[in-house]
Amino acid sequence: MNTILGIGFILIVGLFSAKAAEKIKTPAITAYLVIGIVIGPCVLNFMPDNIINISGIISNVALSLIAFSIGQNFSKRTFQQVGKQVLWISILEALGAWFVTVTALLCFNVPGYMALVFGAIAAASAPAAIIMVVRQYKARGKFVDTLMGVVALDDAWGLIIFSISLAVSKAMYLHLSTSMVSVVLKALLEICGSFLLGGIAGILLSYIGRLIKNKTELLIYTLGIIFITTGLALHFHVSVLLSCMFLAAVVVNLNNESFKYFDVLGDVDWPIYLIFFVLAGASLEIALLAKIGFIGIVYLVFRVIGKFAGTYFGAKISNADSDVSKYLSLGLMPQAGVALGMALIAKDQFPEVGGLIFTTVAATTVVYEIIGPFFVKVALQKTNQIHA
Amino acid sequence: MNVLLGLSLIFLLGLFASKLAEKIKTPAITAYIVIGILIGPYALHFVPKSVLNVSGFISNLALSFIAFSIGQNFSRQVFRQIGRQVLWISALAAFGAWLFVVLGLKIIGMPTYVALIFGAIATATAPAALIMIVRQYKARGKFTEILMGVVAIDDAWGLIVFSVCLAFARKIHFNHVLSISQVIKASLLEIGGSFLLGIFTGMIFKVLSRHIRNPRDLLIFTMGLILLTAGLALHFHLSVLLACMVLAGVIVNFHKESFRFFEVMQSIDWPIYLLFFVLAGANLEIELLAKVSGIGAMYLIMRIAGKIIGTYFGAMIAGADNDVKNYLGVAQMPQAGVALGMALIAKSTFPELGSTIFTAVAATTIIYEIIGPYFVKYALQKAGQIQGE
Repeated sequence: MNTILGIGFILIVGLFSAKAAEKIKTPAITAYLVIGIVIGPCVLNFMPDNIINISGIISNVALSLIAFSIGQNFSKRTFQQVGKQVLWISILEALGAWFVTVTALLCFNVPGYMALVFGAIAAASAPAAIIMVVRQYKARGKFVDTLMGVVALDDAWGLIIFSISLAVSKAMYLHLSTSMVSVVLKALLEICGSFLLGGIAGILLSYIGRLIKNKTELLIYTLGIIFITTGLALHFHVSVLLSCMFLAAVVVNLNNESFKYFDVLGDVDWPIYLIFFVLAGASLEIALLAKIGFIGIVYLVFRVIGKFAGTYFGAKISNADSDVSKYLSLGLMPQAGVALGMALIAKDQFPEVGGLIFTTVAATTVVYEIIGPFFVKVALQKTNQIHA
Repeated sequence: MNVLLGLSLIFLLGLFASKLAEKIKTPAITAYIVIGILIGPYALHFVPKSVLNVSGFISNLALSFIAFSIGQNFSRQVFRQIGRQVLWISALAAFGAWLFVVLGLKIIGMPTYVALIFGAIATATAPAALIMIVRQYKARGKFTEILMGVVAIDDAWGLIVFSVCLAFARKIHFNHVLSISQVIKASLLEIGGSFLLGIFTGMIFKVLSRHIRNPRDLLIFTMGLILLTAGLALHFHLSVLLACMVLAGVIVNFHKESFRFFEVMQSIDWPIYLLFFVLAGANLEIELLAKVSGIGAMYLIMRIAGKIIGTYFGAMIAGADNDVKNYLGVAQMPQAGVALGMALIAKSTFPELGSTIFTAVAATTIIYEIIGPYFVKYALQKAGQIQGE
């Protein structure tokens, strides 16, 4: 099967499986993932090799478009309305997931350095899955604004927590004395680098954007700027997600007509997301589910509890609506690429137990990705964000 | 440089080059190709290898979208109005180009089999370049419709003429005992197969399209079926261009709201075309230009003369307007991928003179692709198809 045929096949099968999923009130993204699993190497083994080869490009393109789309929620106006809640909730839910997971694992006699790494990975969520559900059901409202903000910031906190935890954990494991300051500096450098990159690209996008007149040019231009941001982020090893989010945040605040950049992408991005999630499904290693083990189950359960408790307290402190305090954590359940990326780093760092960490996170990702979107949908329904 | 960085540079450079080109009234496609040459391996050497590696994929994607877009002109209604003219003009323009090039090359002393191959390659045109210019200037009218039809059918004639000539050339050169009827059968099989494939996916389209309601599904569905058609054509070694054109032809005739499918593709296809032409420019081997000797020049001139005169007679027989008679020939100047594909086959068939054929065709392609768009624009202007100006 050649690449073109493979992509055509994925598009059509993905489309109709999503239509079937609609009938049983299942989010499209779950359908894409399930189809991916079915045609992937673990079941039918139907996926041509050359598609797996381009899946790296597709996932970077999809993630950058998703991050760009999330970033549009960071307008001054939205920030005034939900900024305080977003800050409190995102910090506390990330710390909550970390703290509860670490404590639980320690209680079950997991070594301290391993518990720390699991806790740090628990802080991450999957912006892509969340935004897909929001987009599919055209959810809108204050709850959605808050959720988007939390999901976006989540990523920055996650990065900091992970870097620090990893450093401490390495010190414990190898009995090294790594200076805390240099670790924190490094994490901050990555975050600041992403901000700087996104900021410069955002200023370029808004100012040169004035030369752009018709829709065709607008599409090429917007794609060009997003890809250059992503390409540079990859090149300098800073965060693609943060850079593209910040790019969008700068544009939304600098440019009165910024909606046109988001609209023009909104017309074309869905096929890329479809391919991305089908490929993601194909790369999920279903066989790992059998190996999920005791640690995996503890991680699975206590991450959710930590997210819930953290969100609850964050919402209380910032005086958010009771909808937010009750349901927002449900929307944070999906976990995917970011967590896997962290687990991969952990795998490299700890030769002996790294494999176990990676396998466990990969296995729980399967669970979170497949049931997560349902919970996002439930959260959106309960808070009346879906206007039929 | 990673792939995304490379793609973004191509997008942004292409975009601003075309804006600059607009100021000096040059078609965007010329700007894309020139930028491609500039950043390509023969000048600045700026295109990352990783991007050149995906250019095969991108060109199949772009060609299938282009063919789909051309195919929408094949509605019954349009066919009734201009079908006769399209048939006559395309047949005679192809024949004219073939005849002139064969005679011209015989005159400068080329062996008959080489002349035959050159003649066959001369029939091909580049639908992509044409449709880009028509789209850019929003050209509309009867002339444009006839041009689109001619360019589309051209491809089928070209395939037949080339297969037959190749068989003859082999017979002359290698003394092959190859029955001509077999050759014609093989080329008809390719054409017939492409038609069947297009009709088949068109029928699937028709049946499934009932379930498609919102614009998001529409885009995925249309793109998915075009890619399926192109992918199957590649798989069975059929013509991607013909199969996708027929797919569009089936849709336009059997679906009441077919315009929706074409519009949704138009909203997304331009970035792919930009990539396609910049990469095409980067893949042009500029150094070949120096090697265009008498053969290349003769081919270049005789092909155009043949197209113009063939079109003239075709238009006369079919009773077409004066505009069509006078300007449609020159609008068929661009030549690119299809011709190169044929030249590549010739190269692998004839070890001795094959690479001469390929080099000459590749070199003239550079000229045709760079100046061709100007002539298309000129023809469209003269025929009053560009309303904006």
